[in-house]
Amino acid sequence: MTVFHLLIYLSVLIFLTAVAARIVRIVRMPVHLRWELYPVPHEKSRSAYGGSILEEVNWWTKEREVDRIGEAKAMVSEIFFLKGIWEHNRGLWFGSWSLHFGLYLLIGELGLLALSGFLGAVGMQPEILALVTPIVTILAWIGCALGLIGSLIMYLKRLTDPKLKPFNNASHYFNLLLLGAINVTGLIWVAADPEYAGKLVDFFAGLFSLNALPVLTTIGYTHVGIVLFFFIYFPFTHMTHAFVKYFTYHDIRWNDSPNVQGGKMGIEIDKLEHQPVTWAAPHVRADGKKTWVDIVGDTGEEKKS
Amino acid sequence: MSRSSLSKQPKKVTDISVPSEQLAHVDPQDMFPLPPPYDKVKEQPGFKALSAETRKTVAASLDDTVCVGLPQPKSKEEEERLITAFLSGLRKLFTRENNWTFLEPLVLSMEHCARCQTCVDDCPVYEASGKNEIYRPTYRSEILRRLYFKYIKPGNSLFNKFQNGDIELNWTLLSRLLELSYRCTLCRRCAQSCPIGVDNGLITREIRKLFSSEMGITEKNLHEKGTIQQLRVGSSTGMNSLAVKDNVEFIDEDMTERTGIPIESKWDVEGAEVLLLHNAGEFIAWPDNPGCFALLLDAAGITWTMSSEIAGYDGVNYGLFYDDVQLARIAAKHFEIAKKLKVKKIVMGECGHESKALGVISDRVFQGIPRETAMSLIADIVFSGKIKFDPSRNNFPVTLHDPCNLVRAMGVVEPQRRVLRYLAPKFREMHPHGVRNYCCGGGSGFAIMSQYNFMDWRLQISGRKKFKQILDAFADEDPSAETKKYVCAPCSNCKGQIRDLFDYYGAKQKSGLHYGGLVELVVNAMVDVKEGFLNFEEM
Repeated sequence: MTVFHLLIYLSVLIFLTAVAARIVRIVRMPVHLRWELYPVPHEKSRSAYGGSILEEVNWWTKEREVDRIGEAKAMVSEIFFLKGIWEHNRGLWFGSWSLHFGLYLLIGELGLLALSGFLGAVGMQPEILALVTPIVTILAWIGCALGLIGSLIMYLKRLTDPKLKPFNNASHYFNLLLLGAINVTGLIWVAADPEYAGKLVDFFAGLFSLNALPVLTTIGYTHVGIVLFFFIYFPFTHMTHAFVKYFTYHDIRWNDSPNVQGGKMGIEIDKLEHQPVTWAAPHVRADGKKTWVDIVGDTGEEKKS
Repeated sequence: MSRSSLSKQPKKVTDISVPSEQLAHVDPQDMFPLPPPYDKVKEQPGFKALSAETRKTVAASLDDTVCVGLPQPKSKEEEERLITAFLSGLRKLFTRENNWTFLEPLVLSMEHCARCQTCVDDCPVYEASGKNEIYRPTYRSEILRRLYFKYIKPGNSLFNKFQNGDIELNWTLLSRLLELSYRCTLCRRCAQSCPIGVDNGLITREIRKLFSSEMGITEKNLHEKGTIQQLRVGSSTGMNSLAVKDNVEFIDEDMTERTGIPIESKWDVEGAEVLLLHNAGEFIAWPDNPGCFALLLDAAGITWTMSSEIAGYDGVNYGLFYDDVQLARIAAKHFEIAKKLKVKKIVMGECGHESKALGVISDRVFQGIPRETAMSLIADIVFSGKIKFDPSRNNFPVTLHDPCNLVRAMGVVEPQRRVLRYLAPKFREMHPHGVRNYCCGGGSGFAIMSQYNFMDWRLQISGRKKFKQILDAFADEDPSAETKKYVCAPCSNCKGQIRDLFDYYGAKQKSGLHYGGLVELVVNAMVDVKEGFLNFEEM
């Protein structure tokens, strides 16, 4: 095992820990009041026009039909085709789609490499290599090309579009440069090195087996170095919307779950309502000890004499 | 300083902290044109300038209007005290104890916006203003986000600045941010178009909440005259139970005379099927509406009641727009009353925000009494076969305004349309409609706010898109006032805004535009009701 091994393990560890920490933080957030936004795609037969079960008279006596396939369709069109941007910000769509789709292909490449590397580490390398090599190469070519086009377009948009410009921070430019650097080095590497895929499979096998890593070209080391930096950097940026989007959609926008009596949600809400309130405005009438229940019950209503 | 020499809009987000007479200014020429005969700027009602006295006494450096009217601090110490209180509120806004109600949606919206601006063109206020920077849905959110990363979010301050930019918190920012939180109708159209799921409407509401719950700074029509008065005397209109009963008695008499059907409204009937909870504004401004409900429910053979208890005859819940404590207090009263009367369900009258507050927002906190919207019940009655209708009585052009709280926030889209398609032969949709509707411009309580020159702002800017939509919906009709046109707006708040829009632009006289609720059209088409119940001359 070399220092290079350690650097890679450390980067991946930081990435996984920070991503997990963010997810755990979100999952542990208290249940909130209902705040869904229609259309909700799991509303069977109604989602096409944005309707809900609340349209029914005595809706609570009707069976709630949940359409998971409709929900999955909405997710696929949003994740892979960026439907929201297509519908509401067409001028930004191609650059954004190209950038995102390129990244998906590179994530696919990474997953395939990890799998083949692992299988290689346990002795299946020759058979796997023959299958994986062309796929990895194609994914790298298309992924990096799309990613590069996307990051360039997005960078130019950020630089010139008066709609975007006033709201850009330094990180917006930096992030696009970083993604562009990953893509451009990846593209040069795969173009210049005929053994690109083979070396990478060996590289991952070495990572899993703690054996020596193959020697890479200069551009290969540069690419790996930038990718490792991205691993460390990503979890601390707004780019985490990549996975947090699951929560903004499922926990909030599409979350129409009622609080069923005797259910888990009810127990949690009961605990939340018994927390002390410290809001300081006079009308709240909080003293740091009174709970939500106490405060809501104290309406300041005029008592009849 | 003349209006034309004012800065039109900020160049940078950080300009909000830089003292100046006014951060942004909208000229009437900047706004998109309305269709004829409202297309000549010179013939339109002017935008009254704020008086020098107002500018001197209250915080008025945001734009051309004032909504809250926070008094100018008298000393540097007072400024500092307000800033300290604001920071304290900002901290509490991100705590589980004080803000469990909306913590997750708020934090996720704070931390994950890509600043792609996909949402901005969906905002009717931004569009109507000629795309003035300060009215972007993202503008106020960006300010709160920068404050959050600077003062609340742990981490390296340099890294936070690099990621999210910086901002200077001072009195100028604080006073402008407060006013800015009252330049959005909370319609959440922007949230619907955000590919990430960021909700700028929610962020705006949370800014209002911070000011209200921590600093006691609120818009007085929502707070003192709104929730406080409702909990103290019974209604945000100021009516106590004696006054409302008196009004309803008069409404019953009038309806009986005009329809030929004896009507007697019910009060405090235990064990009724339905507790009917109207927005109390109806009893004063649109008395036909509760009258029609009484007639329709009786005709359908439904046992129903209203409540004369404090807050029991007013479904308004302005807490929804600015303060969770007030929201919960009013919702709790509504549930308590329904339980006491042992009714089977609460039916929320034609009021969007009441329906959302009681039907959805309170759903996880208060249990035991089911609630449904009037739209569902009306549709059920109309298609039950119990009542005979003659749709030809509604043979005039009708369009439907979708209240945001009913459609976007609840998914109640079709029942009202089914009724109109059946009972209004000349019904046509606005475009866009349903869940992609445009707000009337009076959302989040704006419809009851007319202080200073705020009415000019809400009728020229926030209501502009809706007024254009209404005119466009009737574009294929005779444009003159000879042809009476009906805008069905099943929401008290929206009706208030549409009334003001029509008065402001003289739309009744120029274009024959009238407005009303859904239930009035239903009753007008009832065969048993005397013909001519809907009288455009008296509307």
